[in-house]
Amino acid sequence: MSKGRKKGSQLQTLLSLAAVSAVLLPVFLLSSPWPAAARDYLELHGVQETGAINLVSAIYLGYRAFDTLGETIVLLTAVSGTIGILSRAGASLAEGYRSSEETLSIAEASESESASVPAAEPDLGSDPGEKALRTEETHTKHRKHKPRRLRTHLLEVVTGTLSPVVLMFGFYVMLYGHLSPGGGFQGGVVIASGIVFLALGNRKESSTKITQASVLGRIEAAAFLMLILISVSGIIQGGGFLDNPLGESVILPAGFIILLNAVIGLKVGAGIGFMCIALLGKENS
Amino acid sequence: MTIILLSLILGLGVYTLVSRDLLHGIIALSAISLLSALLFYLLHAPDVAITEAAVGAGVSTVIFVGVIRHTDRKDDDS
Repeated sequence: MSKGRKKGSQLQTLLSLAAVSAVLLPVFLLSSPWPAAARDYLELHGVQETGAINLVSAIYLGYRAFDTLGETIVLLTAVSGTIGILSRAGASLAEGYRSSEETLSIAEASESESASVPAAEPDLGSDPGEKALRTEETHTKHRKHKPRRLRTHLLEVVTGTLSPVVLMFGFYVMLYGHLSPGGGFQGGVVIASGIVFLALGNRKESSTKITQASVLGRIEAAAFLMLILISVSGIIQGGGFLDNPLGESVILPAGFIILLNAVIGLKVGAGIGFMCIALLGKENS
Repeated sequence: MTIILLSLILGLGVYTLVSRDLLHGIIALSAISLLSALLFYLLHAPDVAITEAAVGAGVSTVIFVGVIRHTDRKDDDS
């Protein structure tokens, strides 16, 4: 590494540290108390108004459901962007990486050959040794890029056995989000890890449809459509956008929150699982 | 307890930046996620702890290991 580059990286580090301290220092030095009006209101009225004991769920699905809708749209955009990049890069990004690397080393080898031929004319004695050394170098380069087997028996057994438990826990976190910590996003992410575990621990004779990318994509699209329909359905009954269409039921006061949690969890789980499986490549599906 | 967790997270973060073997770096990164999930739980934010454990230790580690399998394990740049 050259000295100038080192100096530049040091300057970058100093600049980033200065930026972080400029943002964080006022927060630490501020002596005025935190605003408490919203907190007190939510503590007093949150459970009665939404029926959700878990106040986090009550806020992000009861009072701020519009923001949650925006977040799901952000996730949808991220997933579709990833899939777009992956599909544009051909069958799989990894194949492209390996082939481009190979052509690069081949081009390098031909370049070094053509460069060594005119240089060899003055002194013929040193040429064969140098050439052999260079071919050896390219040879080791080729050997280094040989694909390794990271997938072992251990990984298959552990992920295959663990995935039903993880899926179960994901559905629990998703459906009980109004009572215990958790909710649609958290449960959805746990479900996505369960789906990825299923895909990793998949033996050839026992394949399931849930780990196929097309099925997951369809689930995500259907869940998003359902989310839009649910949020519009309040308007039909004379309420506003994202108003509770179920009304005040006595048995299940948090029914609307459970419904939203389930749809959001399905959408998040299918979307993130879809992204992971598409990134991992075709050999796992 | 919080100080122990924070210093462990800091040390693992430095190791992740320094290590030349990318697989070791990824394992240190997922350990950071687990420790910070524990930290979030101690700070009375179990929602965030669940998300951090699932995303940081689960999904992102799987993605990184998948990428390493397709590319190179060692960092060539020296």
